[in-house]
Amino acid sequence: MTKNPAKMNPSKAAFGEIRHHYWEWIIATYLFLGGLGGGIFGITAIVNFFVYPDFAAVIQPIMAWPCFLAIMCLGLGCVFLVLDLGQPLVFYRTFIKSTSVICWGARVLSVCLIFGFVWFLSFIPWDWFAPVANFLAPARDVCLALAGVAGLCVVLYTGIFLSSLKAHAFWATPALPVLFTISALSTACAAIALSIGWWPVDQAFMDESYVMDLVYAGDPMAQTAYLTYAAVTEVKHLLHTVDVILVVCEIVVLLVMVLSFLGAGNKTANQAAHRWVHGSYALVFWVGMIAIGLVIPELMYVFAAESILSTVVAPIMVLIGGCILRFLVVYSDDRAPLPGEKLYYGRLVGDDAEFLHKWKYGENLF
Amino acid sequence: MTRYCMVIDQRRCIGCHSCTVACRTWNELPNDIIYNAVMSEGVEGSWPNVHRNWLPTLCMHCEKPACVPCCPTGASQQDDDGVVWIEYNKCMACLACVNACPYGMRDKSNLRPRLHRFVQKCTFCRDHRAMEPDKEPYCVATCHQKARIFGDLDDPESEVSKLVGSVETVRLLEDLGTGPQIYYIPNLGGTR
Amino acid sequence: MAEIDIHAPGVEMVKSLCYFCHANCGVLAYVKDGDVIKIEGDPNYSTQGGLCCRGNSALLHVNHPARVNHVLKRAGEKGEGKWEKMDYDTAIQEVADRLNQIKEESGAEAVASAGGTTRTDDWARRRFLNQFGTPNGFHNALLCWIPTFMAETCVSGWSPFETDLGAARCLILWGMNPGASTLPGMHGYTDLQMGGMKIIVVDPRYSETACKADLWLPLRPGSDAALALAMLHTILYGGMADYDYIDKWCSGYDELMAHVAEYTPEWASEITWLEPDLIRQAATMYATNRPGCIQWGCTWDQIGRASTTGSHAIALLRAVTGNIEVPGGDGMPGPALNFLTDEELELNECLPEEQKPKQISRFKLTSWPGYQLISDNARRQWGKTLPTEWFCEAHGPSVFKAIITGDPYQIRALICNATNPVNSYGDAKMVLEAIKKVEFLVVVDYWITPTALFADYVFPAAGALERPTIVTHYGATDSLMAGARAIQPKYDRHDDYQFWKKLGLACGQDPANWPWETVEDAYFHVIEGLGLPIEKYEDFVNHVRMYFPPLHQSKFIDHGGFWTPSKKIELDSSIMRELGFPGMPTYIGTIENPIDTPELLDEYPLVLTTGGGFMPFHHSEHFNMPNLRYIYPTPFFSIHPDTAAPLHIEYGDWCWIETRRGRIKMRANVEPEIAPGTIFCPRGWWFPERDGSADLNNPFGCLESNVNTLTSVDAEDCDPMGGSWANRGLLCKVYPCTELDHEFTAKDAEWSIPGNAKTPGVSVMPSDQPLAREPIPFEKPACDREVPEGYYWVWQDGLVYNKDSHFRLDESGWLVDPKSNAYIDAYTGWRYDANNDCLVDDATGDKYTMDREPLTYVAGVRTYPGKDAPYEVPSNLTWDKELGYARLNDLMYIYDPNSGWMIDPETNVYHDANYGYAYDPNEQNLIDMKTGKRYSMSYEEITDAQGATAEPSAEAQVEAAEAAAAEEEAE
Repeated sequence: MTKNPAKMNPSKAAFGEIRHHYWEWIIATYLFLGGLGGGIFGITAIVNFFVYPDFAAVIQPIMAWPCFLAIMCLGLGCVFLVLDLGQPLVFYRTFIKSTSVICWGARVLSVCLIFGFVWFLSFIPWDWFAPVANFLAPARDVCLALAGVAGLCVVLYTGIFLSSLKAHAFWATPALPVLFTISALSTACAAIALSIGWWPVDQAFMDESYVMDLVYAGDPMAQTAYLTYAAVTEVKHLLHTVDVILVVCEIVVLLVMVLSFLGAGNKTANQAAHRWVHGSYALVFWVGMIAIGLVIPELMYVFAAESILSTVVAPIMVLIGGCILRFLVVYSDDRAPLPGEKLYYGRLVGDDAEFLHKWKYGENLF
Repeated sequence: MTRYCMVIDQRRCIGCHSCTVACRTWNELPNDIIYNAVMSEGVEGSWPNVHRNWLPTLCMHCEKPACVPCCPTGASQQDDDGVVWIEYNKCMACLACVNACPYGMRDKSNLRPRLHRFVQKCTFCRDHRAMEPDKEPYCVATCHQKARIFGDLDDPESEVSKLVGSVETVRLLEDLGTGPQIYYIPNLGGTR
Repeated sequence: MAEIDIHAPGVEMVKSLCYFCHANCGVLAYVKDGDVIKIEGDPNYSTQGGLCCRGNSALLHVNHPARVNHVLKRAGEKGEGKWEKMDYDTAIQEVADRLNQIKEESGAEAVASAGGTTRTDDWARRRFLNQFGTPNGFHNALLCWIPTFMAETCVSGWSPFETDLGAARCLILWGMNPGASTLPGMHGYTDLQMGGMKIIVVDPRYSETACKADLWLPLRPGSDAALALAMLHTILYGGMADYDYIDKWCSGYDELMAHVAEYTPEWASEITWLEPDLIRQAATMYATNRPGCIQWGCTWDQIGRASTTGSHAIALLRAVTGNIEVPGGDGMPGPALNFLTDEELELNECLPEEQKPKQISRFKLTSWPGYQLISDNARRQWGKTLPTEWFCEAHGPSVFKAIITGDPYQIRALICNATNPVNSYGDAKMVLEAIKKVEFLVVVDYWITPTALFADYVFPAAGALERPTIVTHYGATDSLMAGARAIQPKYDRHDDYQFWKKLGLACGQDPANWPWETVEDAYFHVIEGLGLPIEKYEDFVNHVRMYFPPLHQSKFIDHGGFWTPSKKIELDSSIMRELGFPGMPTYIGTIENPIDTPELLDEYPLVLTTGGGFMPFHHSEHFNMPNLRYIYPTPFFSIHPDTAAPLHIEYGDWCWIETRRGRIKMRANVEPEIAPGTIFCPRGWWFPERDGSADLNNPFGCLESNVNTLTSVDAEDCDPMGGSWANRGLLCKVYPCTELDHEFTAKDAEWSIPGNAKTPGVSVMPSDQPLAREPIPFEKPACDREVPEGYYWVWQDGLVYNKDSHFRLDESGWLVDPKSNAYIDAYTGWRYDANNDCLVDDATGDKYTMDREPLTYVAGVRTYPGKDAPYEVPSNLTWDKELGYARLNDLMYIYDPNSGWMIDPETNVYHDANYGYAYDPNEQNLIDMKTGKRYSMSYEEITDAQGATAEPSAEAQVEAAEAAAAEEEAE
């Protein structure tokens, strides 16, 4: 066998890594939660203003619970984001510079969170809270509109955030914001489907025959309840359909992105794609992401409609899939290594090395 | 105008890491921060026809730095003379710039107290030169081999502009379009 | 992170020198309130502002939390790490009392002392040891330059180590890696190479230097002697020698031709793994690109058995190509004639003659027998000699063995001065045992090293910036570079001079032998002879810094030959033969090799090489500097991919490296940095971050990754001439660490004499081990003449020399001083001054007549008391026989027959010989001091109207006197 002298020996080539993974699970989770929360508000607003513009009084209350979840997601995402900072106490500095994607992300996220929260407050049914709720009620439409627009911006932002960092070939593709947007909307659909109508609708009203009697009897509460029930069913059905489409889109965009990197991307993106397709991420990608996160729930949506598989299991799987996607992408922050960079950093030790902590300047041992 | 840049003569570098340590010491960097690693692919080729090169690195002080516009706080900035630097009391270590840099030349130290971390990078010894205008960055002054040459590219009489004009130089990852301002005079590598 | 302002008020700049390796780069230290706030490389020093990793870390070194700052006295068991802080002087007295007691009971030789390379100033230690009476001081000198120096001195009279590269056309860097060990040197080589000089690098490793070479000879580790001999053969038999030079300046050419006949490149090829044509190419490049230089490399002294053979052969390579002492060649500085050498500070005369044979070393070239021959010759030729420190030392490993075995006698006390023998000497397991076993161990060090852990007393040492530094290459060169201390030693740290002085005085040594208050005072004494207008050492540092005598080259032409006993470059060395060694380099193999020990190959198929310096550490120091360690945190050995693959070793894997003597573990650097079948291990590794007392079999991990666990110091493995032990060319095997076998255990730490992991303990007494080569009997020719009492005859040149001064007894009956070629009176030692035809006692400056009677001078004029006038006295003067000079009337002025003027002995003012008028050099006229009247030089009175000044002031007169005196001096 002749040897190619230009080729690095395989064991050396496998040694060490560039410095990366500055962002880890916290940021991945944040991107997932941000997309999810923003998506819920966005979809809520779309459903409210464009799909059923005449039924705001019914649609908005049934969406309160999903939006509460969205607020929790966004809030938790913010907490994660702040905790990940080197100096969490001065997180407000993030709003300063308009050239930065992060800055815009923080702004739209704040808008979404604030107006979404105000909107949600107006639905709190506790008696003692009624004055506040009633005071806020007139502003519901404005709040929801703002939160919805901001929410969609958050969805877009999570993708643009990564894809604007051109140091990372796997991120720096227009497909990524598309993928993240689809995924965010898809997970939002799933989350809404899981949580819609849980609250404040009284489950007792859901016995159809009983309710129908009351409706025909002209009971206003029962009429409301019926309308609510009908709306829940309607919206669920709508979102089910939307999600069926979104999941298909997601599969297409995901495969287009990954497989094109696999075949044609530059060396760095190519390397990451190989990791996804048949490398260390392959199991998570194919089983976790593609199968559990997309294909199986899609099959359930289509072939087991109306069953618990379609209404509960599939949305949960879609959520899991969305979460896995963020993790895989965030951990694919490969940068083109400088010559020798991997060897250099591969030989260094971690921050916990004994010799880094044994001696403190200023103390004298002997 | 002044446009600071550095020419690195790989023909002269022998990988002693003096620049790295001079920088760490006099810029008082925490132990886990290295501004200017001297990298090498090691010895390559088939014995005894082998070659080896060293690549002294540092912030490229790009013409269009990727790390400046992405900074949400305005801490990461660029002077008129091209020096890219971080105003530490504006930074909150969101690491956007760290992830934006295609060269991996920024980092935050994990050896600092948990709530007081910030991103650091090479500034061509901005503070040092401000205090002693006739001095060069520490990595340049300390180099026995004189492999690092610092100067003003806009000054036609400076050594850097003479070198960049008269010798074939190479810049790292030029196709990313950031306009790096570190010019390498490549070594052929092997025994001549 | 605030930038330090060196221009702030109160900041002072001190010109200092780095103290972390031999390069001693120039450092500017900025000092405020007694503390260094910043340092930088000195751009105006020869190192042009460069500083390496270590130099830049000087402040982190000075202020390191693990530095020893106070005297620590052992409070628990040895090695327990419990210390009690003590007052310095009390501790010194306790140590002195103990040393005196040991001397009383077992003789002074039972006290030995080890020193660290460039971590100490050595002459003060030898000054102490000589007065104390022990010959057993040592360093790692035998691994570093000394055997080479001695061999080269045998060949040409001094080591030709000062290359004149500016004019050289070719440079061989042989077994030397300046790219990692001598950065300022590498800078120079790179510049010259870019200017066209060819660089040949001889190194089995593709080192930092090799990868910049024009021609690289990747030889088998340890085969340097074979390569040198084959190059010698090629040059001599290829007709490429410098025959004019050989003819005029060398002896033994025919013998050498016959001797190297068998050392063909084909013969060497098998040993060196180099193609014969490559050897021929290298030899041709060196021989035909004249002038050329061969720079000394530490490898020459680390090959073990073949060390001195190799450096001897290289010395002859230089000689036959006519490259010694010629412009562009290797220059010989010789001892410093203008300032004091280290030797003159050592008080060697204090060491009783009967103690010299007790020095523990069987290796004559580098101990008293060889030193005496070489030193006496140096005194005869140069008039000064080599220091005994470094050049005449005990054999370190033999001292450690003597501690364990009591053979040849028990060493009871060891003083380690800034050295960590466990990591720096061969056979680390044996050394660790000796350190544990020695009855009384005193350590002077910067750190608690594995050695210091077992000490009874640890004294804090002053380091870089805390001590002044003079660079004279161990007292072996005639140039000098100096740096001041930036600050006084911090805490209770002391410089070496203070430590040894205090210890000496506490031992009862004569205070007159420790005359200097500070090191600076001593160094000022050293440089006083330069005759510079300076008042203290710091003046020299601030205004002069470096002293270089005029260019070295071609001194031998004036000298009438080289500085050997025969005044020729001795291609067949007479001193070597007198010592029982071959006079010409005679090949001897490395200790383990396929030709001599094929039986080892089955178990140990790989070749191990080690010992070279690498960044950022120096010897075994700096592993505790976190900023440096971060760059190189774990030990990596190099192995070729083709060797690693069948052993299932991947890059970064922890592996065991095993020789017959033991095993260590390191991580694999799998790349073609070194030939297939060969591995390279870095030296010195220990892990100061660990708790040393936790495992006394392996304190601080000082054995587990320490390559000296693998090396051998058995007598037969050492160079029979110089005593070097082998760091190069050992046989070993390598295998990956496994889950079950990755701990360095107590079994791995078992020591043995001779080194053999299979039979722990002492199986053969050190003295019973044979040497690698038996001495060759040598008989001096019989003396053919009568030698007067107090004189001796030298067989090589057949001349007679004085025993005390080593001056040659000339046929005229005078002695001849080689320093000045002056004639010296054989009875008094006074020098003959041809100008004044008198004798001069240079020690006092007194002059004597040729009849050895004192000469008298008054006001610089020689007088002849009680004699008749030896010159014609002018008629107006009278000869005063009692006072011995001519006078004018009753005036007290003295007549100077040379100038014809009279001189006032009190003021030195000149007066004319006719009237006694004083001469005013400002007005250039005469003054009658009685009347104040002025006269022209032809005695015409000058009136005031003519513009002359009135009464001359007293100042004017003094000035006049000084001017006159200066004028006379100029004459």
